[in-house]
Amino acid sequence: MQLEAAPRGSRLRTRLGAAACLLLASSAAHAQAPDSTANTLEASTLLYGENKRTNVLEPAARFTHLFGGGQILSAELGLDVMTGATPTGARASNQVQTVTSASGSTSTSGTEIPTAHFKDARGVFDLGLQTPLGRLLRAEAGAHVSREKDYRSLGGTARLSADLFQRLVTVSAGGGYDDDGVFPVGGTPEGLTIDRGVVRYDVQPKRVETATVGISRILTRRWMVSLDASRTRERGYLTEPYKIVTIVTSEEGIPVATVTEKRPATRVRRSLLGSSVYHLEKDILYLTYRYYWDDWGLRSHTADARYRIELPAETFLQPHVRFYTQSAADLFTFGLRDDQPLPPYASSDQRLGPLRSVTLGATVGFRVPSQPGRFTLRAEWIHQWGRVGTAGGIQSGPPVDLFPPLEIGTLVAGYSVGF
Amino acid sequence: MPPARAARPPRPEHEDAPALERVDDYWIGRFTAMASPCEVLVDGDDRDEALAACSAARLEALRIEAKFSRYRDDNIVHRIQHACGRPVEVDAETAGLLDYAARCWTESDGRFDVTSGALRRVWTFDGGDRVPDAASLRHALARVGWRRVSWRPPVLTMPEGMEIDLGGIGKEYAVDRAAGEAAARVRSAFLVNFGGDLIASGPRRGGRPWIVGVDDPERTGTAALYRIELTRGALATSGDARRFVRHGGRRLGHILDPSTGWPVEGAPRSVTVLAATCLEAGTLATLACLMGPSAEAFLREQNVEFRIA
Repeated sequence: MQLEAAPRGSRLRTRLGAAACLLLASSAAHAQAPDSTANTLEASTLLYGENKRTNVLEPAARFTHLFGGGQILSAELGLDVMTGATPTGARASNQVQTVTSASGSTSTSGTEIPTAHFKDARGVFDLGLQTPLGRLLRAEAGAHVSREKDYRSLGGTARLSADLFQRLVTVSAGGGYDDDGVFPVGGTPEGLTIDRGVVRYDVQPKRVETATVGISRILTRRWMVSLDASRTRERGYLTEPYKIVTIVTSEEGIPVATVTEKRPATRVRRSLLGSSVYHLEKDILYLTYRYYWDDWGLRSHTADARYRIELPAETFLQPHVRFYTQSAADLFTFGLRDDQPLPPYASSDQRLGPLRSVTLGATVGFRVPSQPGRFTLRAEWIHQWGRVGTAGGIQSGPPVDLFPPLEIGTLVAGYSVGF
Repeated sequence: MPPARAARPPRPEHEDAPALERVDDYWIGRFTAMASPCEVLVDGDDRDEALAACSAARLEALRIEAKFSRYRDDNIVHRIQHACGRPVEVDAETAGLLDYAARCWTESDGRFDVTSGALRRVWTFDGGDRVPDAASLRHALARVGWRRVSWRPPVLTMPEGMEIDLGGIGKEYAVDRAAGEAAARVRSAFLVNFGGDLIASGPRRGGRPWIVGVDDPERTGTAALYRIELTRGALATSGDARRFVRHGGRRLGHILDPSTGWPVEGAPRSVTVLAATCLEAGTLATLACLMGPSAEAFLREQNVEFRIA
């Protein structure tokens, strides 16, 4: 009867406190389940615009059904409509250039980056099922299919997660497989050839295998951290069929010709993602850091912070800031010199170049009084710029901006309603 | 327990919205749930905000009461009670509470037992002198004991005739959950008090604390023993302030020892514990009472802030 005799001391309180926190933390998620509705419909529209370049309109609708046994079924239908201009990869110079490509043609004068106009649409259908297996295991499976004018994708994912140590730790492992096909308008050009070389008209296969593992841990009632690792192997046609590389004279750096780009047939990508979610009194702070590296020599760091401020009347405001920096892939070049043999691979795609970007944005979520459902509005501004001279720059010729800054704006309007 | 609680008439349970009243510079919403007077104090000026907090807290209290009350025939507790020894699969929230109850049972060497309902029914703590006879005590004790229950989450199998009573942790759990619901809707500091088990979200404007009075066990509802200044955290009181029985010239509180079937002797009249969550505070206060005369030593060992009367 005398507790003093029991060799427990204050550990009892610690254990009870932890058990209480765990119960409250886990119940916060499911306690509302009896009141919440079985069906949720979410609709959103994304508007994406780059200055003088791509514009994307992306409406999407997602339906989720919660079954009595805890299974969750979701289906999503999306459409992307893209118009605008995309950089061809050709180098900016002081010379007037004319560049043709299968997707359109353009002429660029002055020192602007050559671009090609395009218009494309993409349809996506995504189906997911999540089911508990007993009390501590969860299985998820998903399938998706997408189609656009010159690309199709069919894939599936599976994931298993387990709660351990009284649900304080969750571990998960999963995998995915995509079977894609590329069939460029006007055929697939031979890589690194002038005038597109030999063109093939069959579908170029691309296969993507992904493996992920993750661990998350509840540290305190308010704080959860997680670490996720992924490895993706891509095989097949990984080249951008419409992108080109400029060949310049070795002395003045004057463009004299363009060749199609060429990339290796395999790419192994790896990433590590660390996240932290901290509940303050009312607000929530989300922090993530991601390190990415692949066997093309590209490395990137992403740091992202979001802060959710709870306002009265079920309104929230969530400012968002992100920094991104990437080093150029080994095959990235601003242009090839005419006095040197062609390398095995080359691309001037800016997405493989030395990039930095900063994103500022905010999301606001609110309800309209006496109306069902919840609205969200998200606006983001992205400023992207290159780091010329750190990779593959040809330091000759008159000064031109090889990698001009890019301004991107996105606006997402969303609505979700349960029934 | 706070001064504002004294001598208020309980309000009908079917009320659609809590009654909101302006007191000094804060709002106070009152309602009845879990057979207790409940109130939510919001330290702000915005009436809509206060109403949103009170309504959310009330709905959560009523939801938990409906789900875990022993006096309904449409909930999980009723299903467990009437399973006649057959296994019952429970939902995640109930499983969480049962996990917690199992942990309390282990930590208290079997003193804290959610299956002691049968025992409780043979005792009447109305301040009188009726004690159960040995036969009915034996009969009740035969139907008490978490060790007789098979708890393999999410499946609970309980011998026929046994009862489960989550009331010992349900109210504190409801306070924490209701505060969570309120916190999602207000930015002002608030305090949730369900029948004396309470939690404060943070200091009042200007850094002022909430002032909580602790009931005098001898003069319930009319006098406060002392005041506690609370800025953040939870406070729960356990004791025999209102429920006791007289036997052999002694006053026995309503905290029963499931090993003997008798009230714990020498327990303090009133134990108030401060902790981060109401669940933790309430469990520690109850465990302290179960320790009888060594309640104070137990609490000291836990390195927890407490008051004993």
